[in-house]
Amino acid sequence: ATESTVVDPEVRAHVYSLVTALGGFNGEDADKYVLGDDALACLRDIKRWLKLYDEKYNRMDVARCLGEANLVNGDLLPILSTFANSTKQTKYMSRIALACLEILVPLTWPLEMQGEMTADNFKHIPYLQHSHVAYKRGILSHASTGYLRTIIRIGLPSMATPRSERATRDEGILKLVLFFLRNIALITPNTRLAAEGDEEETSRSATINAFQDQDVFALLLTMCSNVGDDFNLQDVALLEILFYLVRGVDVERLFMNNTQRTAKRTDELDDLLRKESSLRREYAKNAPTRHGRFGTMIWVKRDDAKYSTVSGQSVLKDDQTTFQKMDDSKKWNKPQFRRKVQDLTTYNDFNTPVHLNSAASENLRKFVEEFLDSGFNPLFTHVRKAIEREADRVVDINSRQFFYTVSWFLQAERARRALQREKRAQSEKPGKEIEPDSFGLVAGVLDQETFVFLNRAMQYAVDSKDWQDLIAEMRCFTQILLTVQDMVQSPLEEDQEIAENIQNRIFYEETTHDRVIAIVRGYTDQGFGYLNACTELTHVFLRMLERYSKENVDMQVRSRRRARRKQKETEGIVEGENDEEHGSEDEDMMEAERMSKERSFDFRRFAAKFCNQKCVDTFVNFTKHYRELNTEQLKRAHRYFYRIAFKQEMSVLLFRLDIINLFYRMIKGPGALDSSKPIFQDWEELVRQIIRKLTKKLEQRPALFVELLFSKINATTYYLEYGHERQTLPTI
Amino acid sequence: NNEDPTPILGVDDKVQVSKHRRFVAKLDESRLLSQSGIPKLRLTSRQRLRLKGKGHEVYDHQHRDHFSPTANFMEQFSDVARLLNFYQLWLDDLYPRAKFADGLAMIEKLGHSKRLQTMRREWIDEEKPKALTADI
Repeated sequence: ATESTVVDPEVRAHVYSLVTALGGFNGEDADKYVLGDDALACLRDIKRWLKLYDEKYNRMDVARCLGEANLVNGDLLPILSTFANSTKQTKYMSRIALACLEILVPLTWPLEMQGEMTADNFKHIPYLQHSHVAYKRGILSHASTGYLRTIIRIGLPSMATPRSERATRDEGILKLVLFFLRNIALITPNTRLAAEGDEEETSRSATINAFQDQDVFALLLTMCSNVGDDFNLQDVALLEILFYLVRGVDVERLFMNNTQRTAKRTDELDDLLRKESSLRREYAKNAPTRHGRFGTMIWVKRDDAKYSTVSGQSVLKDDQTTFQKMDDSKKWNKPQFRRKVQDLTTYNDFNTPVHLNSAASENLRKFVEEFLDSGFNPLFTHVRKAIEREADRVVDINSRQFFYTVSWFLQAERARRALQREKRAQSEKPGKEIEPDSFGLVAGVLDQETFVFLNRAMQYAVDSKDWQDLIAEMRCFTQILLTVQDMVQSPLEEDQEIAENIQNRIFYEETTHDRVIAIVRGYTDQGFGYLNACTELTHVFLRMLERYSKENVDMQVRSRRRARRKQKETEGIVEGENDEEHGSEDEDMMEAERMSKERSFDFRRFAAKFCNQKCVDTFVNFTKHYRELNTEQLKRAHRYFYRIAFKQEMSVLLFRLDIINLFYRMIKGPGALDSSKPIFQDWEELVRQIIRKLTKKLEQRPALFVELLFSKINATTYYLEYGHERQTLPTI
Repeated sequence: NNEDPTPILGVDDKVQVSKHRRFVAKLDESRLLSQSGIPKLRLTSRQRLRLKGKGHEVYDHQHRDHFSPTANFMEQFSDVARLLNFYQLWLDDLYPRAKFADGLAMIEKLGHSKRLQTMRREWIDEEKPKALTADI
């Protein structure tokens, strides 16, 4: 009864009759799938239903019926295995196989929860997500047939024909094969749906292992390294497959050898156990030593002859617990500002970490190394051009995927180099034997075109408030900077020279500097991914710029701001005369270009731009997650606050009660940092010094007692820090 | 047919629904600037909070472990603990409803208003050396 209300019964009847007519297991040999008489026509009809009913009316009814009829696992996969196992190739069979693929692709197509959604879609999506996982499980299953390999086989004839002789049909088949692989890489069990307990079979590890076993990686490598020659229109699909394979995978861990990885895992377990025991110890410290009804109550004597009462034995111990308890017993919470629901597609999320088992790590690493050696430059150069050209096959999401994938592979390349360096150092062979590799392998994304592309994309994302895009771009920029930094230390002179050049170009444009500042200042509630990416970018950018400007004392930057003002002035003059003077935007830009001036760069002044309440707030928000941050992230925050308080001498910016409170909690708890870690020592020292400075300042300037409550006003910050106004010298 | 005109126990009376919700105190500018707000903070902070002053030493002698090399460390952290406690009590008096962290966030937000900004500048100017303020 419920079934009939979900889908129009007539549609269901039609679809079911087609599935039944397709064929089945019967006859004398029950293991063998027997094709129906008109199987090919049935397959084509099913495809037509999907296209002319579902697609046309933006419904998912047919897809749902096919899911309920178990078409994929019950019919299509058995047909494909008959095709794979049959010794002689008939034209009929290969047509049938292709028809299967043509249905498999739309059936596994990602379900996007955005754009225009009908009530019908919402009704079907959870069910279809579930059946997608079932499809993937069937396709990856270790049955007699490698289905992925079979699918590739369908595409092989088209692939073998040279590009010039390929018909539209051939290109279409190639596209189908790649999209099928993309869909398989993409499907992940939805965490919001009930778990069935066998997620392992459809996990990323299982996907990677199947890709390795059934030569999908080999196919990808071949195609990637020949992008531009033999394969032109497939670049975006290849990018998507790579994106879904590597997103969320921890690069560092991937490039460890097995012993390191086990050691790391043991370390982590050790860490976790220690964390747990310290939690327990902290609890035990404050836990009641007597039974729950022992009934202790104390008074806290306050001024104006007032008293507060606090109950529980733990409060007897010290003031801090008492105060903590007084606070905890309050029921009211400040109403929280709720961020509106983020985009519901989990497919393009790359902030969630993914764990791989050791076999999958090994396989993926091998693939990544081979890809870096052969496919990186051709693929990414080609994709970049396609996106810039706004080719038909490109969709919006591709540029985000591009930047994320580039950043991931750049990081992988750096990790690989680090590993090689280590190996070389261990083997202690004379240096001449091994030729140092140049950075040519990743040069495809280190050219001027890419920088222009990246800069424009970043500016666009900032302007249109597309934070996920911006996160991917920030990560990409950070990785480029780090790669360049590694290049500077390369033993090859050529690499050093190129690195010098690139740095020159990156740091020459003042607009880049201003954009980085704007991004850090611009944090409001974009989430942790943004915080992490923008703090890392700031950290890396500042440090590299500092070093670079020290080495190049007479560094110049191209500033545009002054030029603009001048331009406005001139415009103001001509405004009255005629309106034709207002040229197009391009002309404005040209004008600005011509007017732009170079001026010498002063790092101190630049760093001072990061010294404002907004940047501090961003880093404070980041530090609030201190319990989940790793050592590298804690170090990043530490360096920043150190810079604020001692290098730039703007400690006043940190003198706000919530910041002081946060720092105090980090060191003294409850919920303090793990005191056995070396980073704890750094933080303790920093907090101690800041507090020392604070107490001193409070003595000198009692007005700070009130100012502690607020963010500082620009007009008074300088006075609070130095005790005199910026312009006037102290007269006494 | 029961047509008794006299109401029994007021059952037939219309229940009066009060239209107004109970007034909830807000932590706003006027509350912050009232006697128990910042004026009180300015008045008491100097006297009550003696950080590293003489009172502090006496207080600490009772607790401090004389032989510990980290005594200086402890001292500084106890300083900041006392500072935080002082503000917590002050905030509890001013606006008992809010937790410490929430209250701080609310006050910080108020600090952006025009009125408070001018007040804050005045308080700072009060403390500046006379000659200096005259100059400006």
